[in-house]
Amino acid sequence: MAEPLTQRPTPIRPRARTRDRLGAVLRRLAGAVFVLWAVATLTFFAVRLIPGDPAQAILGGPGSQTSPEALAAVRAEYGLDQPIWVQYLQQLGRLATGDLGRSYGLNQDVGPLVLAQLGGTLVLAVTSLAVAWVLALTLATWSTGRGRLARRIGSGLEIVAAALPHFWLATVLIVLFSVWLGVLPPISTSDARGLVLPVLTLAVPLAGFLGQVMRESLLTALESPFVLSARARGESERGVFWRHALRHAALPAISLSGWAFGSLISGAVVVETIFARPGLGRTLLTAVTVRDVPVVVGVVMVVAVAYILMTIATDVASRIADPRPRTEAGR
Amino acid sequence: MPRPGIVRSTPRPLTLALAAGVTALGLALTGCTTASPDAGDDTPKSGGTLTYASGDAEPTCLDPHVGGNFPQALVSSQYLESLVSLDDEGTVIPWLADSWTVSDDGLAWEFTLRDGVTFTDGTPLDAAAVQANVAHLQDPETGSSTGYLALAKVAGTEAVSDSVVRFTLSEPDSALLESLSQPWLAIQSATALERTQDENCAAPVGTGPFKVDSWVKQNAITMVRNDDYTSPPGDAGHAGPAYLDEIVWRFIPDSASRYAALQAGEVDMIDNVQPDTIAQAESSDTIVHLDAPRPGASNRIELNSGKAPFDDIAVREAFIRSANIVDGVESLFQGTADRSTSALSSVEPLGVSEPDLFDYDPDAADALLDGAGWTQRDSDGYRVKDGVRLSVVFPVSTNQSIPAEQSLYEQIQATAKETGFEVKLAKLDLSSWYAELGANAYDAVSAPYTKVGPDVLRILFHSDGITPAPSGYFANHAQVNDPEIDALLTEAGQISDPERRAALYADAQERVLDGFYILPLMDQQNHFLYATSLEGARVLPAVSTPTFYDAWLNR
Repeated sequence: MAEPLTQRPTPIRPRARTRDRLGAVLRRLAGAVFVLWAVATLTFFAVRLIPGDPAQAILGGPGSQTSPEALAAVRAEYGLDQPIWVQYLQQLGRLATGDLGRSYGLNQDVGPLVLAQLGGTLVLAVTSLAVAWVLALTLATWSTGRGRLARRIGSGLEIVAAALPHFWLATVLIVLFSVWLGVLPPISTSDARGLVLPVLTLAVPLAGFLGQVMRESLLTALESPFVLSARARGESERGVFWRHALRHAALPAISLSGWAFGSLISGAVVVETIFARPGLGRTLLTAVTVRDVPVVVGVVMVVAVAYILMTIATDVASRIADPRPRTEAGR
Repeated sequence: MPRPGIVRSTPRPLTLALAAGVTALGLALTGCTTASPDAGDDTPKSGGTLTYASGDAEPTCLDPHVGGNFPQALVSSQYLESLVSLDDEGTVIPWLADSWTVSDDGLAWEFTLRDGVTFTDGTPLDAAAVQANVAHLQDPETGSSTGYLALAKVAGTEAVSDSVVRFTLSEPDSALLESLSQPWLAIQSATALERTQDENCAAPVGTGPFKVDSWVKQNAITMVRNDDYTSPPGDAGHAGPAYLDEIVWRFIPDSASRYAALQAGEVDMIDNVQPDTIAQAESSDTIVHLDAPRPGASNRIELNSGKAPFDDIAVREAFIRSANIVDGVESLFQGTADRSTSALSSVEPLGVSEPDLFDYDPDAADALLDGAGWTQRDSDGYRVKDGVRLSVVFPVSTNQSIPAEQSLYEQIQATAKETGFEVKLAKLDLSSWYAELGANAYDAVSAPYTKVGPDVLRILFHSDGITPAPSGYFANHAQVNDPEIDALLTEAGQISDPERRAALYADAQERVLDGFYILPLMDQQNHFLYATSLEGARVLPAVSTPTFYDAWLNR
């Protein structure tokens, strides 16, 4: 028995466990539906309660001149002449059937529009998350077990990185790599080069957060009894580090990744705008500016779904990574 | 899609700049790049892709008949053309229409169309096509705002022959030709207009030197050369098809990224250039600055004369005298803009300036307010009359006013405070801003209005423009209600004699300026920067949109 602590306990009552599991899944689904409803409702009213006329916003780009006939036509076309609660119920009804409605401003259905932009943001967010993990792990593993100075440097770097605002970091990276060195484009390109600066902008601050958490739990783990017992079993220092301590240290970072994904999506609003990248963040920003309620609700709904899926994924990941025995209690 | 930008972004010779010292961490470093060796070659070369980066919002429809704003005009100038154009002096010149005549009563205009012009879908440019365009613009279903208003006096059209189209007007319109020169009234293929609006918005079909090839939303509009092009405007530099193979039209909302992309060679031309960027670019050998003010109204603050406190001309004058505009413009616009004292843009030939009326004179402002009964000051230093503070509510649209303008308003706020005005600046998004105007909840406001010709005065200062339409929309924000101004503008809008027209508009402008209804600031700014390797780019004088028909890449 090389790793007694990671062995799963033998299931005693398989059928009861299946039922428990089903209950857990149902609870989770109900929670997800509730979250989606709340998100849709809050977003709808938040955008609509700002004073102003969406019809004017639909027609009136800067410098345009709007005729009353055009305004009336637009109001009728989008149902804006209905009371607001009717519009809300209509919107909810459409959402329930999976129809995200039609954009006020973009002459397009929201569903295909948002799906078309989803890819760009997902690539950005997932790559950033991966890069942040690599950066954080590298720094954490380098600085632990290397004395107090290295630890101080590591944690100092992490604190600075975590505090960097996206827009500032983006500007510095553009000046450095695009204007000075001329090696990377400051705007999106059809190849991967355009992805480097946006990903760094999002990944560096996140790596700061993840790294802080990782180092702390890494240190705790290295001083824990199970590490002591592993050492006593004659495991090599490397084996202790990689197989036991790191695994332990990864747990809080994995749970944090669910939250991190959400923060990456919000960071995408800034990053996609600065680097002129197509994506949900930029769609959202434009839609908020012109009060395009269906698009705002659509983007927020899709982000909410992605967030829920990501939370489930981090749950699963921590179960796999968690070396401690599992019980069904509390699920 | 091949992206030549990849080839272009090889590191520029910046070694010198780096050696010069890391201390200068400014963007101005590209000034050290050397001119390309073949810069002396003036023979246009065909081929290549031009990448243009716009800071404007991406249009939601590429057909400028729908809605009708400046971002649409910028891009549609590449693939759509109008019946007439303007030359650099503002004179109307032929374009898709070869010639035109007007009846003595001014109610019938006949346009003879240019021979042998076809739309890029192969259909011919004929009288029926022009009729279809007028009908499209006047159809409420289209949702045209700018073009719709410009054709307000056109009662009907008729095909006299295949190549002659007659416009019948409900009243004479001295601004008809100027209106028709605008990109928002460009002529499109009748066959294409019959498609659904979604289809036409995605790829309008015109007669221009380029045609829309693809539009990937939030990324780029790609336009390719129209090889059968035959219809350059009278002032173009060559005949036949354009030199460029294609134009990639991108949207880079962030001002600093846009300039960085130009410096890095990823894009060839950028618009919406801010004053600080222009100042940086001035020191560069590889970047050219193009200053092309928009026509129509000047950039001005309109004082709401419809209610207190600006219903009193003395208070309006006091406010104008209390505002230090010249110093503000100089410091905030860094020499990129001149102070205006006209209601019209400096590119409008009929504009009248009154430099003496708008001098900064706090002593005169104090005297005017004392005379108007605003004699007391409260503990905050603001003037008070009958227990009411002298407050000026000033909603600012963050979508329409650039940061330097917003800072200028803050400087006005500061200098007006010394005289005792409390200027309440409120930064609002576009629809909230419209709502404040519709509710008459403002004392001062700055709203852009781009239109070719002095007829913009009628829209801005005729009392018809005060009554809010059912939508709440109106353009006479100063709420000028002067029968004499109304009469002058109405007559000027109908008269055909050019000299009499100019005199009427001059009288009207003087009355507006003398009435202190507006505080002119500067022209509506419209700055472009482009790489020196781009040759032959210019703006169409009508509304100052760039055209790349004569443009070629020298690299």
